[in-house]
Amino acid sequence: MGVIRSREGPGGLAEGGRPNCTESTDPLSPSADGIRTGQHRSLFHPEQLLSGKEDAASNYARGRYSVGSEVIDLVLERTRKLASGSPLSSKGAVPGACEVLWQNSPALSAVTIATNHVSLGAEQCGELQGFLIFRSFGGGTGSGFTSLLMERLTGEYSKKTKLEFSVYPAPRVSTAVVEPYNSVLTTHSTTEHADCTFMVDNEAVYDICHHKLGVERPSYANINRLMVQAVSSITASLRFEGPLNVDLIEFQTNLVPYPRIHFPITTFAPIVSADKAYHERFSVSDITTACFESSNQLVKCDPRLGKYMACCLLYRGDVVPREANAAIAAMKARHSIQFVDWCPTGFKVGINNQPPMVMPGGDLAKAHQALCMLSNTTAIAEAWARLDHKFDLMYAKRAFLHWYIREGMEEAEFLEAREDLAALERDYKEAGQSV
Amino acid sequence: MNGTARSGDYSLLDLIILDSGYIIMSDTLTLDVIGGRVKVNGEHATVRFVGVVPPVAGPWLGVEWDNPERGKHDGSHEGTVYFKCRHPTGGSFIRPKKVNFGIDFLTAVKNRYVLEDELEEDEKEQIVTIGNKPVETIGFDSVMKQQSQLSKLQEVSLRNCAVSHAGEKGGVAEACPNIRNVDLSKNLLSSWDEVIHIADQLRHLEFLNLSENKLKFPSGSAPLTGTFSALKVLVLNRTGITWAEVLRCAAGCPGLEELYLESNEIFISERPTDVLQTIKLLDLSSNQLIDENQLFLIAHLSRLEQLILSDIGISSIHFPDAGIGCKTSMFPSLQYLVVNDNQISQWSFFNELDKLPSLRALSCLRNPLTKDDKDTRTTRQLIIAKIGQLKTLNKCEILPEERLGAELDYQRAFGNEWKKAGGYQDPDKNRLSEEFLAAHPRYQFLCLKYGAPEDGELKRQPLMLKNQLLTLKIKYPHQLDQKVLEKQLPGSMTIQKVKGLLSRLLKVPVSDLLLSYESPEKPGREIELENDLKSLQFYSVENGDCLLVRW
Repeated sequence: MGVIRSREGPGGLAEGGRPNCTESTDPLSPSADGIRTGQHRSLFHPEQLLSGKEDAASNYARGRYSVGSEVIDLVLERTRKLASGSPLSSKGAVPGACEVLWQNSPALSAVTIATNHVSLGAEQCGELQGFLIFRSFGGGTGSGFTSLLMERLTGEYSKKTKLEFSVYPAPRVSTAVVEPYNSVLTTHSTTEHADCTFMVDNEAVYDICHHKLGVERPSYANINRLMVQAVSSITASLRFEGPLNVDLIEFQTNLVPYPRIHFPITTFAPIVSADKAYHERFSVSDITTACFESSNQLVKCDPRLGKYMACCLLYRGDVVPREANAAIAAMKARHSIQFVDWCPTGFKVGINNQPPMVMPGGDLAKAHQALCMLSNTTAIAEAWARLDHKFDLMYAKRAFLHWYIREGMEEAEFLEAREDLAALERDYKEAGQSV
Repeated sequence: MNGTARSGDYSLLDLIILDSGYIIMSDTLTLDVIGGRVKVNGEHATVRFVGVVPPVAGPWLGVEWDNPERGKHDGSHEGTVYFKCRHPTGGSFIRPKKVNFGIDFLTAVKNRYVLEDELEEDEKEQIVTIGNKPVETIGFDSVMKQQSQLSKLQEVSLRNCAVSHAGEKGGVAEACPNIRNVDLSKNLLSSWDEVIHIADQLRHLEFLNLSENKLKFPSGSAPLTGTFSALKVLVLNRTGITWAEVLRCAAGCPGLEELYLESNEIFISERPTDVLQTIKLLDLSSNQLIDENQLFLIAHLSRLEQLILSDIGISSIHFPDAGIGCKTSMFPSLQYLVVNDNQISQWSFFNELDKLPSLRALSCLRNPLTKDDKDTRTTRQLIIAKIGQLKTLNKCEILPEERLGAELDYQRAFGNEWKKAGGYQDPDKNRLSEEFLAAHPRYQFLCLKYGAPEDGELKRQPLMLKNQLLTLKIKYPHQLDQKVLEKQLPGSMTIQKVKGLLSRLLKVPVSDLLLSYESPEKPGREIELENDLKSLQFYSVENGDCLLVRW
């Protein structure tokens, strides 16, 4: 498990030392080597990089039952070791969050870099606040092993927050044929264990990279770097001080109206190519408006088709509270943004003075003011509907089912999962209706 | 009455400075305001005239708007020319009351960064002191808190805050000396001198953004005062600055690393000799007057690593000091070149880029040559093949496999041309035409790296069946009396079927036959055709080869 702790130096920046972030990567994929031999390998403690001999072969059943069950105990043991470290005598250990990274997306190192210009003292966590879990819905490990892990984590650390960053299967860009199966099965089993799941999909990020950042053919490296900016903004409050610093728990309280409705979409602004740095300056109100545009979203979804239930705005950099309030007041006045009846106010604002870092040689221009918006909208039900439709098409023919049955699953589980997702769609519909 | 009205003929007005820092005209208008930058209802303008415009009484300001269509006239009214504008509708006369002359730097900082409730306390205090008796200072703590906050400020953004002057001397240095990063874009600063007044008080200033200020830049060489000794990044986009002015301003910035000059209609007129020698990044985007010859003047900045030339209308580039296949001495450290949105339509452009010794990354999107959507893959491959040391193209890393594929494909694609131009397998025999060498400077190098393209690879035959038949000789090494036969067989024929054919021909049972083949290109080397289920193609049997049959 990975640990992020922050130690405040002047201006919130780290004081010397290398960050010692410890991650456990996909234990079911033999190639955690990308991280072990990668550019940023010094960020990871070798003991915390676990890899197994077999992989999950895009099969939820393998990830959860057969292969996963063999590795889960080792993973949990390492987590325990990290999470329950001895109380620290050293200076200012701020309660941290544990990170669990899965190697479904390569370049995990990019994630750690952006979130870690902090320095860590000892390896153990002083006060564990919660877990951050990065995974994809479509792969075997991401779906199967994660659901197993989440269950066990709830068992052992019931009071701790679990936040997920999930790579949702893109509508038109697919990496595995059985994505819908894996996604539905994992959503069914992890919904009750995750507190909040931030969704990202490859196609949306691909389009942003291609059209806005001038990347001709985005690779996973480009896509991950963009995702990481969003993640970094969300965890910024943990790592730096600010006038209106919003805690992780506060986010959830404001974003999740019902336990099952915890899938906010992420939007980021400004997205400017590094080649066009300083050509256009975006004011606070510009970036606020941009966040309500679907082209800046990290998930393909049209919020105009639904209603907003809650909105969290995380400003970073040189933003003063007065400007932030003015920008939001301007947005509220816009009638195109519809909120549900039962939640008229809906905005939560956080400001963190630390501007976002960019990777040197990366695609994004450095911005002095940035905004990451997390919005819980009923329009995300459209994404679930798409997924369910694909699931139905395959399941009607029982296509590819035998791969799951072979590993010990039963058809009943499929039906149960599908039912659960149908219920989720209904829940969203109900939430969007007038009181 | 004709002629120009003299600016001296006016009644004097006084200035009142409000608590909020806005200067309004109340009694005195001095000539100083001419040339100053002002804001009227959100629109920016430059003051060109102060005085009376008969027959209407009262003082008027003649302004030239930034937006050339905002005005009503070009500075003349009823036959009299009061001031000149560049555009027939660029000017207006405005009552001084309506004009915002801007605020000073420190007030702008306070306006933005001081929390509102503290400001209110200040006002209360002022109202109380206007009275006769001195009153105990309420909220002094909050003032001190405010000031200590300001002194912590490092990054300050004052975009569009109507900053027109530095203010009281030393005020800024006292209140917020630790500022490292200032964004003063789109303000009302009217001259470089005013900028220096501000920057003089910020000893740690590293980043300064002055975009969209219509500044009057120094006309002669300014004395070096050490004002910008710490400055690393200077942004002067859309300021109307000329190249000569750039060099004069840069003279005061000995450590400058990044310089942004987008959209200034710059024409590079001279070679920077003692200035700009430390810059690593130069952004000259959207300066349409720049052409390739002007680039020679900046070619010897030894530390320049990144050059952004997007949207300048360039279509060709040449480095005359380097011959074909050689490296130029220009732009010695240039690693990343951006030429998006230009007029590049010739492949020779990329041939020339290969001469740059340090080039590692290139962005060339949206050019006529690269715009054709259906061929993006080929275009990308060609660019990779033409520029040998390129590691990143259009922000996508070029992996070794991609480079290998691109270079081999390139070789094959132009193989016939190479032959026609005098290329031979034996490099000593090569007599390549000048034309070919100029169009494909890397071709010889690729031949050395991968070997010259073979004839077999270059022939492109139409896909008719007769072209797919292999003409093979059939020899019988053990039977000396049998004639050598020639047969035409399809490449997809399996060995089993070949044996069957031969068996009927020779009256020998299939199971006794042993087949192998040899190629005239590699004499003495025999390859066994052991697997009956595989085809001739599988064993790479080619036209002109010889089958050897034994039993």
